[in-house]
Amino acid sequence: MRISRRDLLKAGMGAAALAALPRPLRAGLGELGPALPPLVQSAEVKELALRAVEAARSAGAAYADVRLTRTRSRGRRGMADSERLTVGVRALVDGYWGFASSRVWSPDEMARLGRSAVENARAATLVGPAPAVGLAPAPVARDEHWTMPIEINPFAISPFEIEDYFFSLSAFVQRFRDFDVGFGDVDFTVQDRAFASSEGSYVTQRVYRSGAPLVVRYKDRLARTLDVVDRAGMGFEVYKGQPIREHVRRVMEELEEDAKLPVKPVEVGRYEVVFDARSIATLVAATLGQATQLDRALGYEANASGTSYFNDPLAMLGQFDFGTPLLTLTANRTERGGLATVAWDDEGVPSDEFVLIREGVLEDFQTTRESATWLAEYYARKGRPVRSHGCAAAPSALEAPMTHTPNLVLSPGPEALDFDAAVAGMKRGLAVRELAVRTDFQDLSATGAGMIVYEVKDGKRVALVAGAGFLLRTVDLWKNLVALGGPESCRRFARVSTKGEPAQATYHSVTAPVAVFKDVTIIDPKRKA
Amino acid sequence: MREIAGSDGRILSREECQELLRRAHALAEGGGETQIHVTSWWHGELRWGCNRVTLVTDRRNVGLVLARAVRNGVYGSVSLNQLDDRSLEAAVRAAEWQSRRRVLALRGWGYFPPFPHYDPFANAAIWSDATFGATAEARAEVARRMISRAKTAGMLSAGYLEVRAATTMAFGTEFPELRTGEHAFWEQPYVRWTQAQGSMTVRNAAGTGSGWAGLSSYDWLQIERACDELAERAVQKCIASQDPVALEPGRYTVILEPQAVADLMDVLVRSFFRELIESQGTASPWHLGFDEALRLWRTKLGMKVVDERVTIGHDPADPRLGIVMHPLEWPGPVTWIERGVLKSLGHGFRYAMEHLPGRHALRTGEISYSMAGGDVSIDEMIRTTRRGLLVSRFWNVQLLDGESLLSTGYTRDGLWLIENGQITKAVKNLRFTESPLFVLNNLEALGEAVPVFRPTRREGGYPTPAVVPAIKARDFSFTSPIDAI
Repeated sequence: MRISRRDLLKAGMGAAALAALPRPLRAGLGELGPALPPLVQSAEVKELALRAVEAARSAGAAYADVRLTRTRSRGRRGMADSERLTVGVRALVDGYWGFASSRVWSPDEMARLGRSAVENARAATLVGPAPAVGLAPAPVARDEHWTMPIEINPFAISPFEIEDYFFSLSAFVQRFRDFDVGFGDVDFTVQDRAFASSEGSYVTQRVYRSGAPLVVRYKDRLARTLDVVDRAGMGFEVYKGQPIREHVRRVMEELEEDAKLPVKPVEVGRYEVVFDARSIATLVAATLGQATQLDRALGYEANASGTSYFNDPLAMLGQFDFGTPLLTLTANRTERGGLATVAWDDEGVPSDEFVLIREGVLEDFQTTRESATWLAEYYARKGRPVRSHGCAAAPSALEAPMTHTPNLVLSPGPEALDFDAAVAGMKRGLAVRELAVRTDFQDLSATGAGMIVYEVKDGKRVALVAGAGFLLRTVDLWKNLVALGGPESCRRFARVSTKGEPAQATYHSVTAPVAVFKDVTIIDPKRKA
Repeated sequence: MREIAGSDGRILSREECQELLRRAHALAEGGGETQIHVTSWWHGELRWGCNRVTLVTDRRNVGLVLARAVRNGVYGSVSLNQLDDRSLEAAVRAAEWQSRRRVLALRGWGYFPPFPHYDPFANAAIWSDATFGATAEARAEVARRMISRAKTAGMLSAGYLEVRAATTMAFGTEFPELRTGEHAFWEQPYVRWTQAQGSMTVRNAAGTGSGWAGLSSYDWLQIERACDELAERAVQKCIASQDPVALEPGRYTVILEPQAVADLMDVLVRSFFRELIESQGTASPWHLGFDEALRLWRTKLGMKVVDERVTIGHDPADPRLGIVMHPLEWPGPVTWIERGVLKSLGHGFRYAMEHLPGRHALRTGEISYSMAGGDVSIDEMIRTTRRGLLVSRFWNVQLLDGESLLSTGYTRDGLWLIENGQITKAVKNLRFTESPLFVLNNLEALGEAVPVFRPTRREGGYPTPAVVPAIKARDFSFTSPIDAI
């Protein structure tokens, strides 16, 4: 049907609202000025949440919870404002989970979603009786609220200030001949979350996410990503809280030095390799982060992204040894500035900090309330309580929560060792900045490429290696860990955890030092057999 | 049919979308234009793992991008998923606030003369009432049949069933003088579509074997009908792939099952589209160089680029293929490669206006294609192979070089060695480094073209059906063994 100008004029100011759609709460797009109190703290939202839980309970759910999220984001130019309200209800009936979600925040919709979640769970009973689903106990929190601590609220300052900041940083870099800067996909996001469960919890929280990798380019030939800026659970201070121009200048000087090095084609073989902190964070997330998700290890993701080399969790816990005491990996959802940092996860479990790998030995998995009970036997053996590590997460209430990787921290080595010191101490080998990898569907092996790969001789960088590829086997790689950088070489980077069908992606932070590995296989990735 | 859409609020109807623009424009201040791009979607899903259903869902959402250009302002836009008056008003004000920040500095759409208008292809099979009406119980019944097949075989299965429906519409109030048909050239008529998919991975308890099968269609009945066969195939593949032996990487004759062909050909089909032809100078297998006299990028159009048995194109009338929806898209069939000769390249309207007057009508949309098949069965291909590998599917295919389309990735869920016309053993998975163009130039045989599984990339995203044959080709390059199963 054609819409003419006349039709539009006829429609006039009194255009009727869409009759079928109930009236939700007001969207807050374009609001400026002082920060608003989190929408989810209102009594109205609590009433909606309780109504959804009540609807699911009275429809027959043994357990039910509801999440409401409001997500606002803004781009670097203030031109990509967006706001989304979502609500999702989860219900447990006869050992099956049902889920229903939509965008409408109204009392009627809460009741419909509650019933729909139960109906969906009940439909699954056609498959046959299911073993009872156990939920690890979680403390009940009543009417608690948490706001992620940030310094500069990107929604409370003028978008002009944000735009000016990037414009002037760009102008600063472009003053230098042959240099350019890229800011990546910068977004500032605030998400308000409300959670209520049939066990009586009601909590609300507000979390922030800001920034993107910042890349300095030289003569269209070399590029480096700053290791002090990345997406983080912070406000605008992710940029403004540090002397960015000094960091950029330092990287520019290093790029000029790098450009003077001769370029050599790759020689395949085995090398001792120094990786920078960003490379190590990438390796940790790809080879250890995914593999320690318990649902993935047990085969629940087999039809999607794959399984894990930890294919028998109960037998491997406390037994699987990477063969290096240097490797200690902890997970948390508590660290300040972490992308996965929350006060409660998407099942209302208080955030936790726990060791996944201690001195090379597998000690625990990423768990939710349901999956923690699958390890009850191990926890009993260890005399530890069965509890969720709070890894349930989802991008918004539209998606059902599942196990997503929390923030990861690779413990640094005891000595003061950074990238330059590690290179200086190397007789012959390679030094790599910004490794990117792809793992196979069991995280057993990975192929990768570095943004900048140096050839090192007698402690000096003597050449740039063009087109070097890395062929890594997870277990061998970590067994061949020679040294870890000191605490001052640690940096925090953003990583994405993607899983499920359809795929859902959440962010987490990974903190890692530089590291030195021996016997790393270098290939020419474009060479055919 | 129309009554179904929006009648229960799962997706928006055409009238609801039109009403949205009227309401938004009525709220406008400062004159100028208003545009909206509105999508809505509904998903019904079922997941299972370890033979246990883990989640049954019903989800729906709306995405509204609202743009305003006040008089002498640029376009400012915001996106939201709330459609009530107060939210709309806040969005209109926010978009206007952005619009007023700069004066019009860029060349607008109005620079371009009117385009011929194509009615969207009328008879594309993209909507199925059976899909829109498929209940959670229907999905559970299919899951029960598939899971019980795995249980009977003593295997563990994980799987996913999905039915979805979505709508999209983009239109605005500006440039009525540029309208040559029902819609302005940049607009998107109201389209709604459905998609259904089912897939299943079967593993043995020891984790030493893995099989997979999957299928997508706009029609849920196709999935329902195929589910027993899918389960059987996944189970058989798992049984046959157990305890694989390691094989030296190298060049092998390969028999690629249709799913593996589709996994490999994505980078090729993507290369036909405008992104490459328009971003001049970027690597494309179809560029020859810039012609200074004609001010054109010369291409390989009309040249023989692959084996003459290869024909790749898209016919929206094919009920297995679906979807053409943009008024700029030529609504009839398009042939990319015909008997090995490059026949068409897609491009956007801007490139068409500047370089190809009168020739703007090629596809610019999402990937959907069919590849002509032959008459050789996979059994026959195996029987005629002295030494080679049978590949079930590829995973994580990544483009290494845009000019040669050299790609890398892994085999997954079943790889077997063929010796003297017979499958002799299951082989450990391999990483490959190979180009689909090389494969299509080293063809030995083609099988029957069949629809394959296509994943949902994002909620509300267009389906991208593909119909491809099994392929037998020489000298496929496998570069390293992997232990993953």
